[in-house]
Amino acid sequence: MGLLLLVVIVAIAGMVWTASRRNGNVVVVYVSEDQVFSEPILKDFERDSGMRVLAVYDTEETKSAGVVNRLIAEKANPQADVYWANEPIRAEVLRQQGVSSVYRSPSAEGIPDQFREPHGYWTGFSARARMLIVANGSVDKPGSVLAYTDPRFRGKTVIANPLFGTTTAHMAALFTVWGDERANAFLDAMRRNDVHLASSNGDSADQVAAGNFEFALVDSDDVYNRRKQGRPVEGIYPDQEGGGLGCFIVPNAVLLVKDSPHPQAGKKLIDYLLSPATEKKLANSDAAQIPLHPGVETPVDIRRLETLKVMSVDYAQVAAKMQAIQPLLKDWAGR
Amino acid sequence: MQRRLTLLLAVLALAVVGLLPLVAMVVTSVFVSGKLTLAIYTKLLSNPLQYWIALGHSLTLATLSAVCATPLGVALGLLFGKTDLPFRRTLTVLLGIPLLLPPYVLAICWFNLLASGGLLAQGAPVQLAGLLSHALYGLPGCWWVMVSALAPAVMILTLVSLHAIDPRLEEAGRLVARWPVVLYRITLPLVLPGILFGGLLVFLLTLGEVGVPVFLRYPVYAVETLTQFSAFYDFGAATAAAMPLLLVTLLMLTLERRFLRAKVYNLRPSTPGRRMLRVPLGRWRIPAFLSVSLLGAVMVVLPIAALVVASLSPFAYWEAWRQAASSLGRSLVLAATGATLLMLLGFFCGYLIRTRTMRLWRALDTLTLLLFTLPGTVIGMGLIALWNRPGTAFVYASAAMVILAYLAQYIALTSRITVATLFNVPQSLEEAAQIAGAPWLARIRHIVVPVGLPGLVGGWLIGFIFCMRDLGASMLVYPPGQETLSVRILTLMANGTPSLISALCVMLVAVALSALGLLGLFFRTAAPRR
Repeated sequence: MGLLLLVVIVAIAGMVWTASRRNGNVVVVYVSEDQVFSEPILKDFERDSGMRVLAVYDTEETKSAGVVNRLIAEKANPQADVYWANEPIRAEVLRQQGVSSVYRSPSAEGIPDQFREPHGYWTGFSARARMLIVANGSVDKPGSVLAYTDPRFRGKTVIANPLFGTTTAHMAALFTVWGDERANAFLDAMRRNDVHLASSNGDSADQVAAGNFEFALVDSDDVYNRRKQGRPVEGIYPDQEGGGLGCFIVPNAVLLVKDSPHPQAGKKLIDYLLSPATEKKLANSDAAQIPLHPGVETPVDIRRLETLKVMSVDYAQVAAKMQAIQPLLKDWAGR
Repeated sequence: MQRRLTLLLAVLALAVVGLLPLVAMVVTSVFVSGKLTLAIYTKLLSNPLQYWIALGHSLTLATLSAVCATPLGVALGLLFGKTDLPFRRTLTVLLGIPLLLPPYVLAICWFNLLASGGLLAQGAPVQLAGLLSHALYGLPGCWWVMVSALAPAVMILTLVSLHAIDPRLEEAGRLVARWPVVLYRITLPLVLPGILFGGLLVFLLTLGEVGVPVFLRYPVYAVETLTQFSAFYDFGAATAAAMPLLLVTLLMLTLERRFLRAKVYNLRPSTPGRRMLRVPLGRWRIPAFLSVSLLGAVMVVLPIAALVVASLSPFAYWEAWRQAASSLGRSLVLAATGATLLMLLGFFCGYLIRTRTMRLWRALDTLTLLLFTLPGTVIGMGLIALWNRPGTAFVYASAAMVILAYLAQYIALTSRITVATLFNVPQSLEEAAQIAGAPWLARIRHIVVPVGLPGLVGGWLIGFIFCMRDLGASMLVYPPGQETLSVRILTLMANGTPSLISALCVMLVAVALSALGLLGLFFRTAAPRR
């Protein structure tokens, strides 16, 4: 009975203590960017601002419902102040669900309009590029996403499950740029060319690095990290030739949560995240992300945005299309 | 009166913790834009064939896993609990290790071992390595991971049930029959409730597993619920997608009840001081030891070795400690608190189910199992819908939400373990005390709990292990900045270095084992001599 009473007292004390941590000089941020990359930035913000950051980090979508669902579920009584998305599609979904509010940060000055929500509901920064990871020593190297339909690579290609992550966004982007008919034909041609499905971009990259496949469409940080690990791969920015589609760019996006408990603190965090200094840190980290502010110093092996042919897309349209094509992608992935 | 009031309070607690979140989610699935509709369910029924194929895959995997893990776990439980096998305590701990890790982490261990480029591939003949690598994916790999992950649960449940047997029953049997007959005709029937629950546990856990099948590329139905969340952000559809899993659970429960209904448990009281009878293995002692050791080497040592090898890099453990020390401490406190409250609530729920004190005992038992089967994400969303309100902010903003998630998801474990334990606590003991005038709570405290203590401690241990490794609902409701170690491992997996992730997993196993070891020591020194 004494042990039981002790447990109850400890439980109540713990409850009161953890709840009290939300008071004071704090900012609550939900983060979809990989924790290994985002946490150091948030720690730097804590040090520089003197504020305490309470974070909820995301997992790969194949493992849990994700922080976006948590934000939507908490809409009636928001707990977070800021959401740091690793792609603008999620930020768009939240805008559509009425979770975000308008905030135009002064730090966003210089970021191209393509990577900002026109009304100020979210702002993009530090981007990944969708690239082709290719095994070293490959005789035939792909130069376009259309290589997935090239008979030379039949049965030798892999792609991450298109129901999750940046692959979904990329497919939706192709639908908005090409139109439904051409995009559907592309998907069918991929299937006929015996493309394999992996559980994630990381898995795809590992499969190519292991020599199981010729190439895969992954994110730029997947390429960078495998090369840093000494794996025998290289990265190719697809569709860069004149008249080509251009490379699909996936920026991080940050938004202020509507009716958040600490809006002023949230704005300070957003200003910090959108600053060129943060973009430089993310470029120089293992995240290997491309700054959207012009003139930010980057490592040698990270292409600057202004040197790339970028796929011209409207991320709001991509988000809408992404939800519209989900049944189609589900059917395609299930075949 | 005391009994009814206490049990009623337990039922109310379960209703708040488990039933209300479930109701909240069901409501979202039948109310769309404020209107009552079954559109989501009719859409589910008209799903393309591949969804029903995925459900078939789930049932196949769950059945195969249960059919293999249950006899394996029972055999190990009998060997360690009833025989004179050498080093049985060490082997029990060794073979229990996979239970401490989320199954998804075990899948990664096997991937590190068997995939092309893995540890075994580097030393094994090319053809064998290719065969093993190929077998890793799909049904064979998923089956193997789930069996190795969950057979320890059946083993522990069997051990717990064996400790509750009155040895005089076996002594009487030994007067007229040899040990194999005694085991078959007396021992196994007495531990049958525990065994059946173990099999049900393996089946339900495998049915709801997502991480392993996704990683090893076997399309299963549970992914459907996850997809509704991750790809569609559709809470109602995700809840509806979970309904077929609940229907399967109801079917399994019905089968279990029909099977157990025919059995009668009418026991004489156990005599304090009597030790469990052990079966002498004789000339089979060494072969049995070698066989179990080989099994342990394959099922446990190999994948854990792959984990340890992957973690062996300079500063990996230092970095793991730096990253996760606070999460580790938090996990221990939350798991211990969760296990204690699970055992407290589970005891009274199990008592109600066993004694059928109230007519709603069937509904209570069914509810706990349905909650166990329900995907953690659905429970998590239900908890958010229920508790994220201005009036309950002091609860929602606190670690109490994690405890509530544990209670909702795992109450079936402790209630069913209590039921299995109470099968071997004769009701005549309570009746005698009642006649002597002892109040109900006094009877519980001085008779039922002491007699059933081994089972109840086992229930606490199982609750602790599951809370420690939980990745379901708690991931959705933990307060910002207050993640557990399991959650931290999962969030760091995306682009975290393999050595760091492996070091964190080794820490999880080591700390959980140490905590359980300390507890075992405490109970050995504090328990009354028998």
